[in-house]
Amino acid sequence: MKTTLKTLLIPVLTIALFSCNDAKETEPIVPLEAILVEDLAAPNDVINRATGQVIETRPFQHFSLEQNQIVSESEDWDMAFKGTTIRVNSDKGVSAAIVTGIFDQIDVVPASATFAQDTASEFAIPTGGGKGWYNYNPAANTITPIPGRVLLVKTSAGNYTKIEILSYYKGNPPAASIDPFTTPSAHYTFRYILQPDGTQKF
Amino acid sequence: MFRINLIKLLLFAAFLFSGINAQAKRPLRILDKSGEAIPHALIQIGGKKPIPVNAAGEIILTNLLAEDQVIIFALGYETKMLSGQECTGKNQIILEEKESALEEVVVSATRTDRSVSDLPMPVTVISQEKIQQTGGIRLSEVLLEQTGLQISSDHGAGLQMQGLDSDYILILLDGEPLIGRTAGTFDLDRISVSNIERIEILRGPSSAIYGSEAMAGVINIITKSGTQAKTANLGFRHRSFNSWNPFVELGIQQKDWQVDVLYDYFQTDGFDLTPTVIGQTQNPYQGQTAQVKVRGQLSDKFELSLFGRGYIENARGEMEVNSNSPEASRISMDNSLRDWNFNPTLRFKPNENWLFSLRGMSSWYATLADSRYESSGESFDFQDFNQFYHRTELQTDYQANEKNLFTLGLGQITETVEATRYEGKNRFDAGYLFLQHQWNPGKKVNVVSGLRADLHSEYGGRISPKISAQYKFSKAFSAQASIGSGFKAPDFRQLLLNFNNAAAGYYVFGSLLAEDGIANLQSQGLVSQVLIRPESLGELKAETSWAINGGFRWNPDPRLKIQVNAFRNQIGNLIETAPIARLTSGQNVFSYFNVQSVITQGVEIDLGYTFRENIRFSAGYAFLDTRDLDALEQIDGGQVFKRNEQNITSLVTRSDYGGLFNRSRHSGNLKISYQEYHTGINFSLRGIYRGRFGFGDLNGNLILDDDSEYADGWMSMNFTASKQFNNGIFLELGGTNLLNTSTPNQPNNPGRMLFAGIQVPLFNK
Repeated sequence: MKTTLKTLLIPVLTIALFSCNDAKETEPIVPLEAILVEDLAAPNDVINRATGQVIETRPFQHFSLEQNQIVSESEDWDMAFKGTTIRVNSDKGVSAAIVTGIFDQIDVVPASATFAQDTASEFAIPTGGGKGWYNYNPAANTITPIPGRVLLVKTSAGNYTKIEILSYYKGNPPAASIDPFTTPSAHYTFRYILQPDGTQKF
Repeated sequence: MFRINLIKLLLFAAFLFSGINAQAKRPLRILDKSGEAIPHALIQIGGKKPIPVNAAGEIILTNLLAEDQVIIFALGYETKMLSGQECTGKNQIILEEKESALEEVVVSATRTDRSVSDLPMPVTVISQEKIQQTGGIRLSEVLLEQTGLQISSDHGAGLQMQGLDSDYILILLDGEPLIGRTAGTFDLDRISVSNIERIEILRGPSSAIYGSEAMAGVINIITKSGTQAKTANLGFRHRSFNSWNPFVELGIQQKDWQVDVLYDYFQTDGFDLTPTVIGQTQNPYQGQTAQVKVRGQLSDKFELSLFGRGYIENARGEMEVNSNSPEASRISMDNSLRDWNFNPTLRFKPNENWLFSLRGMSSWYATLADSRYESSGESFDFQDFNQFYHRTELQTDYQANEKNLFTLGLGQITETVEATRYEGKNRFDAGYLFLQHQWNPGKKVNVVSGLRADLHSEYGGRISPKISAQYKFSKAFSAQASIGSGFKAPDFRQLLLNFNNAAAGYYVFGSLLAEDGIANLQSQGLVSQVLIRPESLGELKAETSWAINGGFRWNPDPRLKIQVNAFRNQIGNLIETAPIARLTSGQNVFSYFNVQSVITQGVEIDLGYTFRENIRFSAGYAFLDTRDLDALEQIDGGQVFKRNEQNITSLVTRSDYGGLFNRSRHSGNLKISYQEYHTGINFSLRGIYRGRFGFGDLNGNLILDDDSEYADGWMSMNFTASKQFNNGIFLELGGTNLLNTSTPNQPNNPGRMLFAGIQVPLFNK
């Protein structure tokens, strides 16, 4: 798994620099950086094609948004991935909401966002095509993230993050080149911005 | 100029000949059936320049040798070929009117013989001549060249008409429905065209005769019935991709009985548009059709006909899968299909005014798909499907007087399905009634109105009223309009499917099984959350539509024919799948709902022009606009976004929306046919254009809204040269898609295909 940092909001930075010329010295605005996580592999259970029974149970991959890395289940993980299922760490008070909009334009947690925790019967990020974060394209047999769906997660440390899932296939290929039978799936590529100061602004 | 010269020449010749031979030769007269002279007839002797007859339809033939070939032709009439010897004794020759000129007769629209020009519904007929011109072997190849029809590749070659898919088009063979659909698609490649006499196309749900499925329209395939005492034709066709099509037609007529037999074999190696991927685009297959038609007069009031047909298809293929294992496994697939039909019909005509037709129709349709791992031979997937369909129908036609023809139909349908994906043996029963009134109040007006009532054991009742009217402003111009309601009953799949995709771990339940299915999964502790309570789903209703069709037929000149039809179909209760419960595995349980509303509208224009007796030109254009109203509502609500390859997300607006997938906004065709007199060769050159269409979603929002989601428009240039020899032997040579344009987005277009064929009449007496 590769993790890279990408600098965003260069215009904001420029404006911030120019504003330094003002007579009144203000604290420079430090733009938040979007973190790109590539190819987080979270394979689903192995299922016997003939019987439908699970032959081999695979573990959830636990991810800490605060540390930007995969951690063990015993640590303070925020989200866990397996197949198309995404869980949040309810034991540590992690909650999530799904909002519709453009990632870069969501600069504050909308008042309409309803945060929920995973319960025994319900996940904060619902599974199923069209329900949570992905669409299932029955014509192409592909799983594609729904454009305009942004996940908001309140981490175990109480910080807000906004997350955009970009791909479910290894190497973040363009949708046109996904072969549902041969392109390795359950490889998440997503980007997120974490607001470390505990406010709801991004 | 050419004509004038010819006439001069002829006058001169006639003068010359009359001078020499006036005493010795009587003129030969060319007449139509009613005995009227055909003054524009032409006669060609031994391959020389054709000579016109005079104004009285007469010509004097000189220097005619017994072995000379004499061809007599005239615009609007069937060409006649005789030997010199046959000509000498005659003083008159009668030409038959061409079918097109003679009022093409259509039965599909009203179930009574009506000529096209008398029908208020949008109807077109593809004659045998036009079928032959396409060089097609399977039905899809013939329909592909017609205005407003598209063939899409979805579980077989499915027809698209008025922007609606194969699910909504009823396919009839000699008036009786054909069954056997995969995911709603009726595969037109199952039908061989070798013994088709004509194809009738009725657009829109404008006829009261038909029930479910005839929402977009009806295709009626009429097979040949011999008219000779003994007929035997052998045919043999070969084309690209190692495709072979031998067939034999036999016909015997004795006294009041007529028997027609067909055997047709087709095999192809298929083709592959994506050679880097394991598995072909079209797998190799063999298809065999056998058909027997018996028709006889039991007495002067009773007529019996029996129709039997069998079709067997076997296909083999390969694919590669890679599920949860690093190495891909190859799977070999063995698929077979069996289709049997038996339709007896008894007709009783006690007198001029009454006709009773009792029809029975039984069909068996079975498919078997066996997929195995190539390495181990272990089963990967096994599916079988067995469907039986029976219909009994009594139709009564009553000609009350010259102006009123009433038709009453009563019918019963029994349908059963047994399949891997269905629990046990499932049975549907349905009854129906249709009433039709054909009314000709005056010479200018005629009206066909009707009502069809359907009662079904599973989804209840349905009443579909229709009315069509025509007004003939003049002999050259008539306008038609029709309004009708159509419907499509939920099929077995939507009601009774019990499917567990073991590999992916999801379930699909038909709406009738959803409640039990969920309860069963719950008792096993597999359900983590019910998303929609199955008992709240309600009954799955039939998909319904209202359709308006309107247009005109105009012959501004005897050489020019224009036909225009505009349509609008508004469809409600479209059936879709959606998840109803989540399993502990994270997978879903799906079922069927009535959700969407869709509109398809457009206009279709056909134009035909006869330049000369031997040169004909035709052009067709179809405009199509489709929209999913639910998708539009979401777009208007600002709920739909798209993401480009740079992962930049933007809002989808109404102007981005491209309607339904797989629909071309523009399509059309240009056709030129030319008969070369000297050699007798018929040439036909056709350009078939299909405008750009959306092939699939690429940006994750499942709707058509981005340029990258469109396949380019393309033009297929098709050419056929054929010749019928004196002895009846028919030769053809040609090719389709000569420019060799193909894309993976059109899996039913193999690229350039060349063909050659021969038909030999062994005897026709």
